Amino acid sequence: MTLDYDPAIIGKVFEETDPVAVSAQEIKDFCAAIGETNPWYTDEEAARKGPYGEIVAPPMFVLTFRNGRHFFQNIPRFGKGGFDAGRDVEFVNPVHAGDRITLVSHVKEIYEKTGRSGAMYFVTIRSTVKNQKNEVVAHIDHRFMGRL
Amino acid sequence: MSGNQVRSMQEINIGDNIGPQPLFLAKDRVRAYCNAAGLAGVPRFTDDEGARKEGLPGMITPGNMSAALIGKLVTDWARPYNGRLVRIGTTYRSPVLPEHNLSLQGFVTQVDHGERTAELDIWIENEDGDRLVTATATVRFP
Repeated sequence: MTLDYDPAIIGKVFEETDPVAVSAQEIKDFCAAIGETNPWYTDEEAARKGPYGEIVAPPMFVLTFRNGRHFFQNIPRFGKGGFDAGRDVEFVNPVHAGDRITLVSHVKEIYEKTGRSGAMYFVTIRSTVKNQKNEVVAHIDHRFMGRL
Repeated sequence: MSGNQVRSMQEINIGDNIGPQPLFLAKDRVRAYCNAAGLAGVPRFTDDEGARKEGLPGMITPGNMSAALIGKLVTDWARPYNGRLVRIGTTYRSPVLPEHNLSLQGFVTQVDHGERTAELDIWIENEDGDRLVTATATVRFP
């Protein structure tokens, strides 16, 4: 069995989210949950003296944007549903408290592979994370896999 | 951080260990992550019963929480050198179950003095030594 999809979807933007405002409190809550205690992320005074001059989010905070309201609503569907296989993230600029963040997503690649456990498909969705100044914050590759 | 001597990347060698750090994720901590990350009320991450209905052994840790913990291990390691995490790739190999004695660890796999970067391998391991989440990361130094 092979995947049935229109190759024209590769590279085409299928979703652009509305901007989401990031608050200092959300950054604090994220830090508390992962045990992050660096005051650059949580304390205004310390952040002022830090490398960014104001509160920023820890780099991995960018992975929280595809949650809640930001599941891929318009993602092309494949096979019988799959697994979340991982993420590849390139960090370009930090997220600052007060930023308004947008994700623009496209299908980067689709391929099939047959391993010991049978035929599998792999889909990579690339999301470009941008702030209100249209600066790229990060590129996130979401990797999904499933059985054919 | 201010007041502390910045360490030089010259001190970093291939094979240097990062961690191990013990990691025990209480279910309430996983739920706190879900609340902070827009995953509140997602059964597989917040509720044993709901997770079992999806065929899982009980609630599991979101992959992105594991990734965030790995990222924190890297940034904690890089901070004394003023290093910045510029890239990370994570692979979710097996579900990470809360309330197990896990460990977070890794080592330096490459040091490039020309590019001023180091490559790291990092993973989360369970009591049996199985690597549940693996990652590679690139840190850039000033």
